[in-house]
Amino acid sequence: MRDELRAVVERWRDRGTETGGDGAADGDGATKTDGGTETGGDTATDGGTETGGDTATTGEFRSERSRIRRILDRDIVQSAPFWLPPFLLMGFFVYAAIGWNFAISLTDYAGFGSIDYSELGFENYRAMLSDPAMWEATRNTFALLVGFTLVCLVVGLVLAILLDREVRFGRTFRTIYLLPMSLSFIVTAQFWMWMYNFNFGIVNQTLGAFGLGPYSWLGNPQLVLGSVIFALVWQFSGYTMVVYLAALRAIPNDQYEAAKVDGASTLRMYRRVIVPQLKPAMVSASVVLVLFALKAFDFLYAIWGYRPRRGADILATKMIREAFNKQEWAYASSIAILLFALSLAVIAPYLYQQHRQGNL
Amino acid sequence: MVFGETSGGIDRRTYLKLAALLGGAGSVTNAAAQDGQEWSNTLEVMHGWTGGDGAEAIDALAEAFGSEYPDMEANFRPIGGAGNVNLDQAVAQRLRAGEPPSAFAGWPGNNLVQYEGVLGDIEADVWDEAGLKEAHTEEAVEACRFQDGFSAVPIGSHRMNDLFYNVEVVEQAGVDPEGIDSFDAWVEALDAVASETDAVPYANSLEPWVVLQFWAVIMQGTQGYDAYMNFIEGEGDEEAVRASFENAQTVLSEYLNEDAPEIDFTEANQAIMAGDAAFIHQGNWVAGAYVNEGLEFGTDWGRIQFPGTENMYGLHIDSFIYPGGDLDNPSPEEAKAFLRFAGSETAHVAFNQYKGSIPTREVPTDEFSPYLTETIEDFAAAEQRPPTIAHGLAVTQDVQSDLEDALSDNFLDPYNVDAVTSRFMEIV
Repeated sequence: MRDELRAVVERWRDRGTETGGDGAADGDGATKTDGGTETGGDTATDGGTETGGDTATTGEFRSERSRIRRILDRDIVQSAPFWLPPFLLMGFFVYAAIGWNFAISLTDYAGFGSIDYSELGFENYRAMLSDPAMWEATRNTFALLVGFTLVCLVVGLVLAILLDREVRFGRTFRTIYLLPMSLSFIVTAQFWMWMYNFNFGIVNQTLGAFGLGPYSWLGNPQLVLGSVIFALVWQFSGYTMVVYLAALRAIPNDQYEAAKVDGASTLRMYRRVIVPQLKPAMVSASVVLVLFALKAFDFLYAIWGYRPRRGADILATKMIREAFNKQEWAYASSIAILLFALSLAVIAPYLYQQHRQGNL
Repeated sequence: MVFGETSGGIDRRTYLKLAALLGGAGSVTNAAAQDGQEWSNTLEVMHGWTGGDGAEAIDALAEAFGSEYPDMEANFRPIGGAGNVNLDQAVAQRLRAGEPPSAFAGWPGNNLVQYEGVLGDIEADVWDEAGLKEAHTEEAVEACRFQDGFSAVPIGSHRMNDLFYNVEVVEQAGVDPEGIDSFDAWVEALDAVASETDAVPYANSLEPWVVLQFWAVIMQGTQGYDAYMNFIEGEGDEEAVRASFENAQTVLSEYLNEDAPEIDFTEANQAIMAGDAAFIHQGNWVAGAYVNEGLEFGTDWGRIQFPGTENMYGLHIDSFIYPGGDLDNPSPEEAKAFLRFAGSETAHVAFNQYKGSIPTREVPTDEFSPYLTETIEDFAAAEQRPPTIAHGLAVTQDVQSDLEDALSDNFLDPYNVDAVTSRFMEIV
């Protein structure tokens, strides 16, 4: 892939010199011999250099030309049509927006007035440190992050191994497990609200059959985060399963056979031979899962709106509450920056590792 | 074409004059229409009444407005969502974008503070011109005052200190609701319900705003009007606050329905209607559901003033707010005409009889249900009208939100009275 790209770039560079030469020739109006360009692109190179020799009378002019040509010849300029438009769009809509958000977080912007940038300071960040609700939201965010990611990885792994063992209706199961992921948080939140319903929900009904409960899954501060994590795991373990399954399929059958010949039990084979080879899949899946967990906002908002039940308030819901309920824009911006920093802390090591391995 | 337009204008003017003559008493709002004023802009009113009695009420209001101003194009734009959450957000977006509606529904009082800079003054053009200051009750007038003028017009009021009950359940428990004259007497009644019936003694939701209004009514009932008013003015007595929380904890921890943390107040109200629960404290918007279900006031459901608040009317006000100030109202003339109308007797009768709220001005009560008639009489007779803390009147939006946070963090099971008391004292 990379080599091909390089070849394309080379080709473009050649083309560039060629058109540059042509341009010079046309500018002088000296030759019409360049009819060659019209008949065949390949022959034009000759015509170009020839006419160039004819017309370049002053050395100054020539060096001026060549400097421009050198600039135009650079890789970065040559490839600009490819990277520049997305760079500008991303730069403006993503990075400039982040920068602006950071600038707002340094002001005291609130309500409907205009933003006053004349006095900047870290007041909001100091306020965050002394806000007990912030600590609780941060703690919940981490609990959600870690709990959700770990459970998802384990459940996904077990499902993938089972499906990889050529079970009957394997494809059907794969679709069934993956299906919840295609639903939006709004829909799954509504599902789980019904299932967790204190009086009529299927969870309490089922437990009731064994003489347990009823439990207030979405009302009890001790249970609520666990309930949310369970619902999210239900939704996303299918994704982990697919990632693992792809990695499992890439492992040659010989290794299974070799392990068996050596007399390893199935459990031992997976533990010692197969699972260690799934590490790259695990890393990439967990990065995606952590980012999903940071965005679990939709799910919580669909159930509770601005103010989730105590125990389920995460940074994202706190941020929205500060911004849209209290109109405390600056404070909400500083929470957004914290959330951004957390995401970065998760994704940066991964990107760095990928970069070192030459995958980026 | 030109000819057609001119003759149309003359026709309309003549028609309006005739209509005014036929109609007899020409109110102030009619007078404006009689001038044959041309309405060039569309009136856009944003509100949150999308379903049930709210939708009926705004439809009735729009219809009444349409018949008084047949030439004005009016767009009553509903924004769905409970408790005005989506409405407030939609309004905020429009205000921030510099494209305000002509008027929007919202709570007056301290709730207006958040809109500083983007509200216009309508004292001369609406309040004085339509004579609303004399017509409306003093508290409603004060609530609509903002900075040096007026920025809102009241459309109705819900009562906050009703304690509703299911007649059959309390009879079965051998309780006479009329005899409940103190908080302790009420707790005894709750005990009786618990021991004599299978019903839940006290039904409600544990949403923070519900707990906030419950705490407030206990504060008014057990500590008195002055203690409550001192608190909202920032000079609260910590002991009074604590005692109110202790009382609230007694009821919530011992007599409340088990699913309270998960349900909203309409579901809790269902339990009252189904005979599964005895008492509920709510704003009197819940009474609309009793009427819709065909339940009879007095025989199926009843109400008393929350114990200790017998001489009070817990005040809640809905209003229409006028954007302006730094922003350009898209249709100032139309908006002001609408607001003059919104403060009128016609509007208050049309709107409130369906909404289940009462007018904030004196009106004939023959259009209202027996329950609302009783509420209107109580409103006029009440010695004190404490403003609600959970609906924008008593405190600003951010303080209200902080109080709800404090409740959510400290008082929604487990009940930490000390922590929530000190947070409340800090916040207000």
